[in-house]
Amino acid sequence: MIRIAAVGDVHLDEDVVGRFRPALDELPDCADVLLLAGDLTRHGTEAEARCVAREFGGLGVPVVTVLGNHDHQCDQVPQVVKVLEEAGIRVLEGEGIVLEFPAGRLGVAGVKGFGGGFAGRCASDFGEPEMKAFVRTTNESAEALGAALRGLDCDLLVALTHYSPVPDTLAGEPLEIYPFLGSYQLGQAIDSAPTALALHGHAHAGSERGTTPGGVRVRNVAHPVIKQAYSIFHLGDHLDAGEVSRIGHSGIQQPWS
Amino acid sequence: MSEHRDSAAGTPAVTAGPPDEYVEAEIHRLLAEDPAVAEQGITVVRRERGLVLYGEVESPHRREEILRRVAERFPDVPVTSDIGVIRTQAPTQVEQLP
Ligand SMILES: [Fe+2]
Ligand SMILES: [Fe+2]
Repeated sequence: MIRIAAVGDVHLDEDVVGRFRPALDELPDCADVLLLAGDLTRHGTEAEARCVAREFGGLGVPVVTVLGNHDHQCDQVPQVVKVLEEAGIRVLEGEGIVLEFPAGRLGVAGVKGFGGGFAGRCASDFGEPEMKAFVRTTNESAEALGAALRGLDCDLLVALTHYSPVPDTLAGEPLEIYPFLGSYQLGQAIDSAPTALALHGHAHAGSERGTTPGGVRVRNVAHPVIKQAYSIFHLGDHLDAGEVSRIGHSGIQQPWS
Repeated sequence: MSEHRDSAAGTPAVTAGPPDEYVEAEIHRLLAEDPAVAEQGITVVRRERGLVLYGEVESPHRREEILRRVAERFPDVPVTSDIGVIRTQAPTQVEQLP
């Protein structure tokens, strides 16, 4: 079994630093990895990224993230990525990573993703250049996610995005804004690989659970949705029925109870 | 139309400020686009006694800042808030997935 902790949309700045830390200090006892689903900052400044590094760095478990739309606001993406990576937080955009755990190899592929809408109610690659650019951004992001997912050699595969791959987890948001919250192409990419779980954020007023048309479980882990520091998912019971304890980087054996 | 003629003559038909819907739209955009706020998840609801703001933010400071900015920009609109600060406790339960 692999234990995945996840949260998105923490929107850090100075005023939030320290709020997550008590719960994060407990995290290595109950999770093997922390996945962050984007919108780590309010405006995507280097200073805010440093707040993220302070709050989510040095946890004792690997931390993997994608960026969100807020992390792009100030056009400082390279600086933000640099600060995060220096703090040991791995930033995925159109690529994947394989993490080795006693229970098996966890593959995580991530993209920010983009809007566009869902089957039958979505934007089309047609008309003005602005519209075509919008839809092509969606398509390229989904293609990158699909390729990254299919390229990973692992025992358990997880897709990490900021935008939603399904409308299910948007329930609670106004229908009119669904096209700005996600796109079906992301779901299609997730279904193109043997994905076990898809995690996303961005829809602050959405709901927790959904499924892709191909049957992959989707969870919206946006902080305002889960209303706790992070959620924990246990996956891959089939990997090894006997070995549930973990001898990790922290060196402690801590079976989940 | 008559409004057009009125406003062309410099006497708008409505003098009591912009219609509520435009105020709502402006507040909504202010909350999303004002760098001091940058919140996309705040809902503006029209009630009998004015506008009520709903949603969840990451700190008490942000909640105060939202009210301050809205009051500053729309001093004549009565605005109250029911905005919550999102809890950050560790989870007590795990979701087991197949
Ligand atoms: Fe967000
Ligand atoms: Fe977002």
